[in-house]
Amino acid sequence: MRIVNPSFGIAPQSEGTATAGPVDWANDPIILFSNNKPNAKELLEGVRDRLSSIRRVDNIDYIAKSSASQPAPPEMINEVARKYRIALLALGD
Amino acid sequence: MSDTAETETLDIPEMDADAWADFVEAQGWTDGLPTVVPSEAAVARMMDGARGDNEPFAAITPRQLIPTLQSLAANAVMAGCRPAYFPVVLAALRGVLVADYNLHGSLATTHSCAPMVMVNGPLRQALNINCGTNCFGQGWRANAAIGRALQLVLNNVGGAKPAIMDRSTFGSPAKYTFCFGENEEESPFAPYHVRQGFRAEESVVTVMSAEPNHNLNDHGSTTGQGLLTTFAGAIASPAANTIYAKGPYFIILGPEHAATLARDNWTVEQIQQFLYDTACVPLSQVSVENRRIYEEAGHFPENDAYKVAPTPEDIHVAVAGGAGKHSAWIPSFGGTAAISIRVKPPAAG
Amino acid sequence: MVIATETFRPLVMAQAKARKLEPHLIVVKHPVGGLNVTELEERINAAFEGLKLEMKG
Repeated sequence: MRIVNPSFGIAPQSEGTATAGPVDWANDPIILFSNNKPNAKELLEGVRDRLSSIRRVDNIDYIAKSSASQPAPPEMINEVARKYRIALLALGD
Repeated sequence: MSDTAETETLDIPEMDADAWADFVEAQGWTDGLPTVVPSEAAVARMMDGARGDNEPFAAITPRQLIPTLQSLAANAVMAGCRPAYFPVVLAALRGVLVADYNLHGSLATTHSCAPMVMVNGPLRQALNINCGTNCFGQGWRANAAIGRALQLVLNNVGGAKPAIMDRSTFGSPAKYTFCFGENEEESPFAPYHVRQGFRAEESVVTVMSAEPNHNLNDHGSTTGQGLLTTFAGAIASPAANTIYAKGPYFIILGPEHAATLARDNWTVEQIQQFLYDTACVPLSQVSVENRRIYEEAGHFPENDAYKVAPTPEDIHVAVAGGAGKHSAWIPSFGGTAAISIRVKPPAAG
Repeated sequence: MVIATETFRPLVMAQAKARKLEPHLIVVKHPVGGLNVTELEERINAAFEGLKLEMKG
């Protein structure tokens, strides 16, 4: 028998795949991007502390979206993309 | 979920009801209950219920696919909808796709929220949507099927598969269906949709990412002030997502409580203001760790208590249910909004 | 690069698949929230070890 596929959908026009160029792990600026869940900040800052033993950390910054339940605003994402080469995102609970 | 069959129609072997139920379960297309076969003929009849509706839909998160009217109709058929329900399902879907609803966050969260669907206007009666006794419960096909169809769309087209994308710690029964109508006939106040700027003769769907209804029992109070004091005490919960004061909540007044409030000359605006001012969580009920987290998020206590709504207007008041000294509190997910969408009647012909 | 708890790994992968991305993923034990300082230390160490592996390519 023939049925209509209830999971069918059309992929939107692709905006292209974002690709990152080569990264200099010793020097490139890093943003620590928190999902604003409890302990996310402590986790990311703990990673930064440990990174100090293997690279410079004066250009590693921290930012958090304003609510754990809402997406980061596009302007925040654009600003981060403009200023940093690497982003470490905390996702979890 | 099968990601291999990405054609709009599928040819599958003939099968009986039991085999169909097993097939649908294996595909991940069901909420667990049996479904109706979305044959081409049944889907065509469903689509006829929304004839003339050519407004495109946005992509549905998390799969980020744009549904077709046919795939949406297939889900409505599977949920048990009559064709006349379909425009209500489409309006509800349009509501949850509005950015402020925060569909992605509400689907991926560990919270137990589900899309609440409230219907206003003449379609409530035309479709026999229960607005009265047991309106959040079982027994009415429209309430059951409309809410279920929306959930199946989110599961099947959207890909919000439980335990994979839907990370809710507990889930809730509202994830099967959560659809009701406002009891406009027994409300002493203007219908909810009219207060939102729609015409009384329009049918409107309002959606919010919500917990199921929390009952507000008050058999003893004989004044509006007394009832609202009881409600405020229940709403002042340190463990509901409203504690973050980021989003809305609904108060669904039972008709008897609504009559008492109206008799005592309470307006909707006064009810909102009273609850905004008094439904606050005392500092003594909030742990030290949580106080620190709230402060980091810019949420500070006022007069040693935390407000649980951003503004009085985020407290939405409607009337539903039947006889009895009960009302209901519907807490939201928090990071969401109450979105009202006009239902498009099918074109003539 | 995403640091996710093991419980949320399927969510990250589903999202990446929808966006046709290959995520750089560091997985740590679940949960992160509700841990005391000592418990959190283990998660931080695990995330750092995962990051060092990523840095080596």
